[in-house]
Amino acid sequence: MAYMLAEGLTFRYEDSPIHRRDPRAKLLLSICLFIVALSSNSVIHILIVLALISIPAMIANILKRMAKTLVFSLTFSVFIFVVNFAVGYDVMYSLTLALRFIAIVAAASLFFLTTSPDELEYVMRWMKLPRDFVFAFVTAVRFVPVLLLDLLQILDAQKSRGLEVERGGPVKRIRNLIPILIPLIVNALIRSGELAEAMEARGYGAVKRPTSLYVLSFDKWDAILSSLSVIGSVIFIYLSFLL
Amino acid sequence: MIKFESVTFIRPNGVVALKDINLEIEKNELVTIVGANGAGKTTLLKHMNGLLKPTKGRVLIDGVDTRKTSVASLSKKIGLVFQNPDHQLFSESVEAEIVFGLKNFGFDEREIKRRTEKILEFFGLKELRDRAPLTLSGGEKKRLCIAAVLAWDPDVLVLDEPTVGQDLQNRLKLYEVINELRRRGKGVIIVSHDIEFLWPLQARTIVMADGEILKDGPAYEVFMDRELLKAARIRQPQLAELSTKLSLNFPFKGVEDAVERLLRSD
Repeated sequence: MAYMLAEGLTFRYEDSPIHRRDPRAKLLLSICLFIVALSSNSVIHILIVLALISIPAMIANILKRMAKTLVFSLTFSVFIFVVNFAVGYDVMYSLTLALRFIAIVAAASLFFLTTSPDELEYVMRWMKLPRDFVFAFVTAVRFVPVLLLDLLQILDAQKSRGLEVERGGPVKRIRNLIPILIPLIVNALIRSGELAEAMEARGYGAVKRPTSLYVLSFDKWDAILSSLSVIGSVIFIYLSFLL
Repeated sequence: MIKFESVTFIRPNGVVALKDINLEIEKNELVTIVGANGAGKTTLLKHMNGLLKPTKGRVLIDGVDTRKTSVASLSKKIGLVFQNPDHQLFSESVEAEIVFGLKNFGFDEREIKRRTEKILEFFGLKELRDRAPLTLSGGEKKRLCIAAVLAWDPDVLVLDEPTVGQDLQNRLKLYEVINELRRRGKGVIIVSHDIEFLWPLQARTIVMADGEILKDGPAYEVFMDRELLKAARIRQPQLAELSTKLSLNFPFKGVEDAVERLLRSD
């Protein structure tokens, strides 16, 4: 399972018309879909939004990976449905809320599955966010798959020492996590210490405004995609209030 | 003891990591496995205690199919020590780290005490018994990892890259451990890039490349076959290289051996 999760969260570069877009255009597209999903108030609207999201996902060839991410959010969405229904809302309304959650996750994952951590960094810098903050954020995103790989190796090592994670009662099962979580946390700490030293050795923070190897460029296609996103969502929201 | 019957392993992402592996290793054998990065060495090891199950074919440990039993019960026979000690040390003391495995395998209190004492003694970890494993040096950590596995006395000890980051003293200690296990009739399997460490062992050597076994033979044969080494992207150990350059039919097994034979031929 951890392997699947690592797969779903790792950015993999693909050459598609969507991947090639300026990250700002991709961000705008994702935000528009996000807002549209948030403002949808019926099951049919949300299904249309999901179909809209699947178009760029299909072009970017990430449908399969997006589906993997959504399988995980499905559990949470079932939870939303059950809680709302139990509290006394009707089936349709509870279903709308549950589906809306999936649509929101799908809209957000469209951006993260088509944008490399590097591009994310450029966007955040373009937004004039503090450099340390940008660096910390991008590093955190980049470290998720690394930590998952660590987790897999730790699991293998402890299983080889006779640890059976899924054995025993609930208390025993929680205790079973100790041999896994401690090395995981310790490794993360070691790694971050090493990273800090390596960064300093390579001159991090030596100048106030470091230059960048790549410069964002917003071309004709980015403009078309962005205007489509904005105009499309305005029309969608307008129509959904009318109908 | 360990038997691979046309084992193929395909990763979830579709990469073929092992291709039709046939292999048999006896209980008391010393086997070394060499090959470039990504040759499938660690994947092969992980099949020995059931961490990975073959996609095709089967792996038998003492006649038991690894698919039909637990990793824990296989690990009791095949003790695997992974490369990075930081991926397994977690206890508050060196002693507790050794006790962990013994408890998992259900030894009683008296036996746990006896074995812990014995293993601490053998690995020279007695003075460190109350230290937190995370504060140990790299060499001490490695020794502790091996000790923690040997405590439950597996039939075969499997070491993945045991010499990484180890100084001379620890390397010598490693030879000592290997020899002691051999004397007790235990099997030892070593995966390593460190051919200079492997050469003096003169063990049965398995050469892997791209998920396949290219050759399985004695070290003096394998490491004298320059074509094979080139195909597997492995360097020749220095003494083997010297022997090749001197056109010897039988290579020097160690420095002493070389000196003796060179003096004699003089």
